[in-house]
Amino acid sequence: MSALRLYLRLIGASVRAQMQYRASFFIRSSVDFLVVVADFLPIYFLVRKFGALEGWSLAELALLYGMVEVSWATIEGGLRGFEHFGTYLIQGELDRWLLRPRSVILQIAAHWFEIRKLGRIAQGALVLTIAAIVLQLDARSWAWVLTGVCGGMLFFAGVVMLGAAAQFWTLGETSELQNMLTYGGSAALSYPVSIYAQWFRRVLTYGIPLAFVNYFPALAALHRTAVEGWPAIMPWLSPPVCAAVLLVAHAAFTRGLRRYESTGS
Amino acid sequence: MAYFASLRVYPSFARCAFQRRAAYRLANWTGITVNFFFFLIHAQVFFAFFRGRAQVAGWRAEEAVRYFATSEALVMVLGVLTAQSGIQLAERIRTGDVVVDLARPVPLWARHVAESFGSALYYALTRTVVLYIGAMLVYRLPLPHRAAMLWAPLAIVLGVGIVAALMYLAGATAYWMEYAHGPVMVVVLALSFLGGVMVPLDFYPVAMRWVADLLPFRGAVYTPIAIANGTLGGAALAFGLAHQVLWLGVLLWLSHVVEERGTRRLAALGG
Repeated sequence: MSALRLYLRLIGASVRAQMQYRASFFIRSSVDFLVVVADFLPIYFLVRKFGALEGWSLAELALLYGMVEVSWATIEGGLRGFEHFGTYLIQGELDRWLLRPRSVILQIAAHWFEIRKLGRIAQGALVLTIAAIVLQLDARSWAWVLTGVCGGMLFFAGVVMLGAAAQFWTLGETSELQNMLTYGGSAALSYPVSIYAQWFRRVLTYGIPLAFVNYFPALAALHRTAVEGWPAIMPWLSPPVCAAVLLVAHAAFTRGLRRYESTGS
Repeated sequence: MAYFASLRVYPSFARCAFQRRAAYRLANWTGITVNFFFFLIHAQVFFAFFRGRAQVAGWRAEEAVRYFATSEALVMVLGVLTAQSGIQLAERIRTGDVVVDLARPVPLWARHVAESFGSALYYALTRTVVLYIGAMLVYRLPLPHRAAMLWAPLAIVLGVGIVAALMYLAGATAYWMEYAHGPVMVVVLALSFLGGVMVPLDFYPVAMRWVADLLPFRGAVYTPIAIANGTLGGAALAFGLAHQVLWLGVLLWLSHVVEERGTRRLAALGG
């Protein structure tokens, strides 16, 4: 419990620091909200030109987009320290964290909370809510949507932690690789996994389990699990699979930390 | 004229930028992997949309997928989708480090553009060919054949210049604002949306297309990619190139003006 209290205190400090520049905060949050224009509007244009995407209407695509955006933007803002970990490692910041009598993971997590990402979370939540209203989701479907969003947060937390862990071995040079799973992953998940070629679909389901982030929970919410030819258990597997990704990442990070030898200077 | 007195320094700036990039070999390969992953997504989404439809908005599926092969191969060359150069400039202005740059007898905006060309050349040599060939082979896409494609190198050079100038202008707002990250991010989003990174502009609604055709952003993304893809020819090609030349001229002139005004303001603050 004291860990959580410390996390909240440190986060509070970083939020207060950012709120010193109120105009800047307002401008940057608004810009992050505009991501909806660059990322979702093109999908709308495509549906307008082509019609539905293999049976998925615009509202159903919007549901997928909203779910993955909310989970990813929350992690992108809340766990910023892991994304920049390569830089901290090179600059020797990690040595300072190691000296403090608290877990390194906690300190990285609490290092920076990017409050402007609230704008990005808001646009995802807005698209998600409008989609849910248009689709007239009932309480049970809403529960599935929220399950997917929470699972997605665990998944993306695992990805940024894995990305940080990789830096112990490659010293910052592979920091772009996690972008494939975070930015690339959220781009891929804006569309139903069923449209992808079989090999790609398999990779997204059994390899890098991105499909469990929003696709399977959305199928359950839309009562389409059977229609798309999946066993009924798949949506239920979503939370444990996402939690497993985080656990693996945690183990990898701990191992990396153990082999860390600093620069010696 | 300071710009022309020392023309020889600009290739040196470009070479330094090139070498800075070349220091990170592994980073280049991870970058290629990420670009290729994005290509696979775009390609499959468009194949899915085109399923059962031979032609939409005058495009065939292969042409649309090849557009993304070209765009992923050029995205780093053109320097779109990344805010790095704009934010770096903004930070130097905010911290005052920019004074060191301004002390040199070379206009900062011109140096910024020269450095962009250095990075562009590096990415053109390391990423473009690998990504383009890889993407074309995965789906066995037919090569575009159109004489107009010969204009592609020119369109790419103009595109690199437009992005460099836009980034400079966005970063230079730091002379007036506490944080210039906002304007820089707006430019990044505009390049993506109004440039047609996610969806070629031909699939946009008519009114939106009109707006995109007027603004400079399509000159940085859509024009070079569509020419290299063999999409543009005849009047559309002439319009695209003229639009690029015009906007590049305007943006470079603006950069010059902004630097004059901005540095005066910086001096007023005490440097």
